[in-house]
Amino acid sequence: MRVQTLTVTTWFSLLLATASTQADENDFFEKKIRPVLVERCFKCHSEQAESVKGGLLLDSRDASHRGGDSGAAVVPGDVEASLLLSAVRYESFEMPPDGKLPESVVADFETWIKSGAHDPRDAPTGEPPSAAIDWDEARRFWAFQPPLSQAIPDDLQPDAIRRPIDAFVVSRLNHSQLTPNPEAPRRVLIRRVTIDLIGLPPTPEEVDAFVNEKAIDAYERLVDRLLASPQYGERWARLWLDLARYAEDQAHIVGNDTSLCYPNAYLYRDWVINSFNEDVPYDQFVRQQLAADFVDPDDAASHVALGFIGLGPKYYRRGDLEVKAEEWEDRVDTVASGLLGLTVACARCHDHKYDPIPTEDYYSLAGVFASTEMFNRPLDDKRESEKNGQTKKAEDAVHIVRDMNPQDLNVFIRGDVKKQGDIAKRQFPRILCPTEPAAFAGGSGRLELADAIVSRGNPLTARVIVNRIWGQLFGRSLVGTPSNFGSLGERPTHPDVLDHLAVGLMESGWSLKRLQREIVLSATYRQSSDIDESKQAIDPANTLLWRMNRRRLSIEAWRDTLLSVSDRLTLRIGGPSIDPQEPDGRRRTAYSRVSRLELDAMLALFDFPDPNAHSPKRNETTTPLQKLFVLNSPFMVRQAESFARRVTAAESANADRIRLAYRVAFGREPNSDELELGLTFLDGCDKAEEQAGWVQYAQIVLASNEMLMVD
Amino acid sequence: MLNRRQMLQQAGAGFGMVGLAGALNSLQAGEAAPTVPHFTPKAKRVIFLFMNGAPSHVDTFDPKPALAKYEGSQPTGELYRKNNGSGYMPSPFKFRAHGESGVVMSELLPNLATHADDLCVLRSMHTNVPNHEPGLLVMHSGHQQPVRPSLGSWCSYGLGTENENLPGYVVLCPGLPVVGPQLWSSSFLPGQHQGMSVDTNEMQVDKLVANLNHPNLTRTQQQRQLEFLGKLNRLHREQRQGEAALDAQIRAMELAFNMQREASEAFDVSREPAHVRDMYGQTAFGQSCLLARRLCENGVRFVQVYYVAKNEKQPWDTHADNNKKHRELCANSDRATAALLTDLKARGMLEDTLVVWGGEFGRTPYAQLDKKQDYAKAGRDHHHTGFSMFLAGGGVRGGLMYGNTDEFGMNAVENRVHVHDLHATILHLLGIDHKRLTYRYSGRDFRLTDVHGEVVRGIIG
Repeated sequence: MRVQTLTVTTWFSLLLATASTQADENDFFEKKIRPVLVERCFKCHSEQAESVKGGLLLDSRDASHRGGDSGAAVVPGDVEASLLLSAVRYESFEMPPDGKLPESVVADFETWIKSGAHDPRDAPTGEPPSAAIDWDEARRFWAFQPPLSQAIPDDLQPDAIRRPIDAFVVSRLNHSQLTPNPEAPRRVLIRRVTIDLIGLPPTPEEVDAFVNEKAIDAYERLVDRLLASPQYGERWARLWLDLARYAEDQAHIVGNDTSLCYPNAYLYRDWVINSFNEDVPYDQFVRQQLAADFVDPDDAASHVALGFIGLGPKYYRRGDLEVKAEEWEDRVDTVASGLLGLTVACARCHDHKYDPIPTEDYYSLAGVFASTEMFNRPLDDKRESEKNGQTKKAEDAVHIVRDMNPQDLNVFIRGDVKKQGDIAKRQFPRILCPTEPAAFAGGSGRLELADAIVSRGNPLTARVIVNRIWGQLFGRSLVGTPSNFGSLGERPTHPDVLDHLAVGLMESGWSLKRLQREIVLSATYRQSSDIDESKQAIDPANTLLWRMNRRRLSIEAWRDTLLSVSDRLTLRIGGPSIDPQEPDGRRRTAYSRVSRLELDAMLALFDFPDPNAHSPKRNETTTPLQKLFVLNSPFMVRQAESFARRVTAAESANADRIRLAYRVAFGREPNSDELELGLTFLDGCDKAEEQAGWVQYAQIVLASNEMLMVD
Repeated sequence: MLNRRQMLQQAGAGFGMVGLAGALNSLQAGEAAPTVPHFTPKAKRVIFLFMNGAPSHVDTFDPKPALAKYEGSQPTGELYRKNNGSGYMPSPFKFRAHGESGVVMSELLPNLATHADDLCVLRSMHTNVPNHEPGLLVMHSGHQQPVRPSLGSWCSYGLGTENENLPGYVVLCPGLPVVGPQLWSSSFLPGQHQGMSVDTNEMQVDKLVANLNHPNLTRTQQQRQLEFLGKLNRLHREQRQGEAALDAQIRAMELAFNMQREASEAFDVSREPAHVRDMYGQTAFGQSCLLARRLCENGVRFVQVYYVAKNEKQPWDTHADNNKKHRELCANSDRATAALLTDLKARGMLEDTLVVWGGEFGRTPYAQLDKKQDYAKAGRDHHHTGFSMFLAGGGVRGGLMYGNTDEFGMNAVENRVHVHDLHATILHLLGIDHKRLTYRYSGRDFRLTDVHGEVVRGIIG
């Protein structure tokens, strides 16, 4: 008894001591630490930041402990390991970047970390169990708010305003004492818009016609001509195929067994090209790819669209439950990241750590794909098929999906297929449903899933596709993380532009061509890309769009441009895949064979994404190996030979040939320096082999930076 | 103008390395540089010698006398596979302790035995599954499914290149191993971290490296051509003030021209004296080991050498005739590997070059018989719950046998080392904390070891 009393007393005094220390520590944190964090760090390192830098959040205890890309920011008691401290001391990073904190403040941080980094703040980004998600609060996050038509600023100088988006952009620029650049010269503009819309350069005749055109609507007519060109679909399909991780085989093939490959994958690729060309409304485009068999069961030809899922990766030992679980993750990730900009797949093993996506929501979507099977449907009646309706040989099939027995999955606890938790009904993620989500009832639920994705009430779908298209046309998307609109993603630089275009897209019947037209007709798009130092000083990254970004061509646009300039391009739409490095090849790069096993070396070299998973956006690397291809590959040499033939056949004097080469390659005349340099170079080549000298010259034009860039 | 190595030397260890990754990034747009090293590195580069198909641990590094005593009796406990009823099979090869340290090896490895005091033999390796494809993927990327960056890509990403004129990560293989290019994929890491794969079936330089030389032009002609290109590009650049990305393009072109010469030398094993080439053995694997040394000498960070034969993608997969095949395979591998260690040591490179030797798993201590049931030609099956690998150089403790399997070599029981632990340790030796080398993709931070991996402190020198 006595012992017990003593224990209780001791415990009480300890508790009191702890309480008083805690109060002191709270005080220290509130007075010395929190104000500095708020004033000097949160601009880049908090949930409210426009763009979170280095993946680091400092607005909660857990997030500071977890740290960012470089590691833990705060390690209680460990001054050495706490990156926050070395950063404010300007030892590792130099933070804050706009000026070192006073020594006394740095000393406060040191004291704070040494004494255990007491931090009374809750953990808004911790791991709340799903029951604890405050759904009303979560829906306040910008991306879950429905996009609304925005009031268009009308107090601006009219000459900079061609379309409503210009008003939003200019208004924001003016706030920062910036003005937009003037319109680019016509020669620049036609090359830019032609490459952007059809992925090919304008011909010299097209350039001349546009430059000399007097009609006031010359540019509008140019844009309309390009949008109507069959080459448009070939260029824009690749945007979609990156998202769809389009490929024609598997990452590993056991022995010589190619039965899991997709020899007729190109039928889906061609469907995507044709859909872009026909401007199939985006909502319908999505519905067909997820559920064409429900949308129009009798129109078998339309079911090729199901390749979106049906060309997905099939993994080794795919009968095993844990391998099935991997395949479902691929399907969920492709759909959720690609169409919704939500990283639902993060919730496979635990509730999403940053977004309101409980694990059940992941399994609700995975269940749709667990109820769907990959299906090799016979191309026609003549093909041999098995009892189950699939063809015996993959070569005889179109690769799509079909329903199996619908099933709801159990949650796999921590992703472990052996630890099954509660049933997760097939349904749409809760955060995107205004009320309790309805369980999918039609078979696997693919149609209901598609309908929910393209529902007018869904705040994400239209914004996500608008953002991707904007990114293609400006080189930087409005939301810098195009497949992550969640809290760890970036915030839109121009939320009003994003919403204006998203609403417009839905109201116009989801026409992507109309959307692109709206963008490329804007004064913002038509600006010159020149760098004005005074503007650059204010907005170095051009986040506010005071100029057009100067951009590098994708591998597709670059290779196609080479083919076009050297007069070797075939304009036939669709068909089986090609080897893009074949020197005599004439087809566009969009028709390249895409392999998960071994991606073509040239494509891989030039940042074509790995087709084993959804690609949010392309990397842009510059490497010497790329240049070795440019300098020495048989493909380049063949283009150079052909380009040289083209200009030497058309003109007889070297100066005229050089002028023609510039008009064909760059849509402009050479200046006197360029002409002089070219003539000197040709003079120095072996006179006995004039054509060989011209091939060398032609290769340099093709290898030049001007060829690779669009102003 | 400083070249990268000079810059590195001048900058000293710590911050120079940070600068290194940063300088690499000057060539790329939009990539955040990892902040490395996290601590002082012991190794600067890695040569991973991969025995495709999986070598037998009980015939090489892990002697099990009990197999003789219990020959023919059935293994007990849970087995992953049926054993075809043939029971334990002793190794016919004699084991002996070597060097001052007494590291034990079988008679199949006479040359490696002379390096016993440099070897750190891991006898307690284990991995997830006994199938080649997932086993290979786990060993290469830490993940059974093929969508993750490879070990070499992570190293390249973490360390940057030591020589801009050569790729940071090179893969040497005659043809392709099982699984193929996924094994050296950079996956979602930027493309320049992908292994540059080199088909070593033909060792002439122009066959090894694609597009290394112009098909028609002489070097002088090409130099003149590139001077002209440089002038045009600079004119173009002058009209575009402030556009730094154009400088990176111009620089990359200059580097490519340098690379032509440098790669022509680095990749050319015919420049080695005949006795050196012979020391490695005139086999694809032997000459690849020699090439690996040349590449490392020239600043390549990570070289993966596959033991693959021209028409055999996994020669170590000895389901039949294990003993005879191991005798041949080991003879070749032993000679080349020992020559590599000798050579690295002679050049003072072994101390900061980590050499790793092993396969995707081990082989069963019990026999596998084919339909003819000929015990004289018995094989061994795949075995993943206990097997051996070794490390040498690069800051590991030499003359060490680390961990143990049980009496029969069935399961790693003491100081168990999972593949994730091996990966964590390799990164650690390179100065990288495996928990902090991350890349954000698809909304989360990925790392080589996912949520696993412990650095094996006991093997670090």
